[in-house]
Amino acid sequence: MSLRILIVEDEMTIALLLEDMVSDLGHEPAGLAMRLPQALQMAETERLDLAILDVNLDGRLSFPVAEILERRGVPFLFATGYGSGGIEAPYRDRVVIRKPFSLEDLGKAIDRVAA
Amino acid sequence: MSADAGPDAPVPSPDFPHGGGDLGALIRAFDWSTTGLGPIVGWPQSLKTVTNTLLLSPVPIVLLWGEDGVMIYNDAYSVFAGRRHPRLLGSKVREGWPEVADFNDHVMKVGLGGGTLAYKDQELTLNRHGGPEQVWMNLDYSPVPDESGRPAGVIAIVIETSERMRAERRQEEALDRVRQSEARFRALVNATSDVVYRMSADWLEMKALDGRGFLSDTETPSIRWMDEYLFPEDQAAIWGAISDAIEARGVFQLEHRVRQADGAAGWTSSRAIPLMGAGGEIVEWFGAASDITARREAEQHLRLVINELNHRVKNNLAMTQAVAAQTFRNAGSITDAQHSLSSRISALAQANDLLTGARGAAVSMTGVLDQATRPHYPSPERRRIEGPDFSLSPKTALSMSLAMHELSTNALKYGAWSGQDGVVEICWSIYPPERGGPERLKLVWTEHGGPRVAEPSRRGFGTRLIERGLAAEMGGVVQMRFEPEGLVCVIDAPLTVYAEEGAA
Repeated sequence: MSLRILIVEDEMTIALLLEDMVSDLGHEPAGLAMRLPQALQMAETERLDLAILDVNLDGRLSFPVAEILERRGVPFLFATGYGSGGIEAPYRDRVVIRKPFSLEDLGKAIDRVAA
Repeated sequence: MSADAGPDAPVPSPDFPHGGGDLGALIRAFDWSTTGLGPIVGWPQSLKTVTNTLLLSPVPIVLLWGEDGVMIYNDAYSVFAGRRHPRLLGSKVREGWPEVADFNDHVMKVGLGGGTLAYKDQELTLNRHGGPEQVWMNLDYSPVPDESGRPAGVIAIVIETSERMRAERRQEEALDRVRQSEARFRALVNATSDVVYRMSADWLEMKALDGRGFLSDTETPSIRWMDEYLFPEDQAAIWGAISDAIEARGVFQLEHRVRQADGAAGWTSSRAIPLMGAGGEIVEWFGAASDITARREAEQHLRLVINELNHRVKNNLAMTQAVAAQTFRNAGSITDAQHSLSSRISALAQANDLLTGARGAAVSMTGVLDQATRPHYPSPERRRIEGPDFSLSPKTALSMSLAMHELSTNALKYGAWSGQDGVVEICWSIYPPERGGPERLKLVWTEHGGPRVAEPSRRGFGTRLIERGLAAEMGGVVQMRFEPEGLVCVIDAPLTVYAEEGAA
């Protein structure tokens, strides 16, 4: 099943790679947000099946985005260069993939979250 | 014995002296004719009386009779005389004790002159047991008058105090060592910058603590020391280590947090040893604690730096992975891909140089554009850079730098820098939007003088990076127009002037 996936990632090259990977996995990139205000807005308004969240967006944490997605019932996963120690308490048990990650890592993580 | 018995009626006196122990027997058997005293039968009554008296005394007594001080003594004195006895009996005192002849000479002169002498703990060196020996004695000398009432001898009561004096001396030396040890201890305590403390055997009471300015002092015993020096959340763990030390009767050693004299949290390395009593029981604990706050802070800072470095390395690898993946995805050939990849990794590395200042340091717009295009232009006059400088966030600077790298390599391969004369102009301005709101940045990359340009049949990674990536990065619009005279790239985005962290 093809999912509409929001990509929140502040590093340009990685954001583009995520778009490619999402497409390669048979899903549809629903949008690309590289800064927190943009991410908050897209999380609120876009039609989404799933979201991939970078934790640190140019110095600002993306947990408010997770809060909106939670409220809307949109599943999400975190992608971070920090360990899971960088994840705030309410989201500690969520799926986290550590950068750099492979296409397979991302595919498995998306399947787990979407299940 | 009759009252009128005279010298011309010599009566042997095997009965004199009566009794008197070993010395009584020796005196009876001694041939006194070899001495100035002559045979006992001729002794004046005064001499006999004194001799009998001293023989009955349990105290060491010696009688020195006549000018020569001929010696008569009792059992107790023979013990004192050591190996000098029995030769000492009947000898002249100056010859019997040659090592103290001068001393005895003085005694004889004073005594026979009718005077008395008393010495307390008199120190003498005697040769009683085959070698010189330091001894102490209480000596009392009194004259003994003969029948005429004139002093004819000197009686000496000799009480050796060597043992007591040695004991006293040992005690004094021991005390001296204790005093020296105490002085060294005081010096150590004063010399060290460590906090020094004393605890009761069970650690419930702090007896004293000298805080050295690091911690507050405790001068009188306190059972509230835990709350005074330790934060509530640390107390259980520290008490655990203390209990272990008490149980093991061993050293307490721990690095832990403390409340400093100024109330702030600090770190200390604390070490205490139990002091044992005579019965092996712990009497108290003595400890020293050094201030390791600065070291702990440095360690903590280093950990943060290492974590951050680890993160940055991961991030850089993720970016390299992203660039590599997309380079290969869009490459015409492996050779092309190799070339593009290594050039892009160089661009990433150079952009990183811009960012290696302190984290959050701003980077200038002009600096980014210059640094990203400089490696590619054929000569400086074929690149024009013009616009008002402002600060970019490190993140935006990196994206801008990569986009400029892509535009530059494209110009070098296909555009203005591929021929002999082409020029690239990079001009930007800041303008207020027509409908109000925040100021905007407009940057135009214009190429002229190169070969005629045609719209490429497909968009490569570079184009995508610029049009899609940079646009998302800057929250604006980026447009590439492949006009016949040369490529034009227009970036139009809200101006985000980066304020350095911590700046007002």
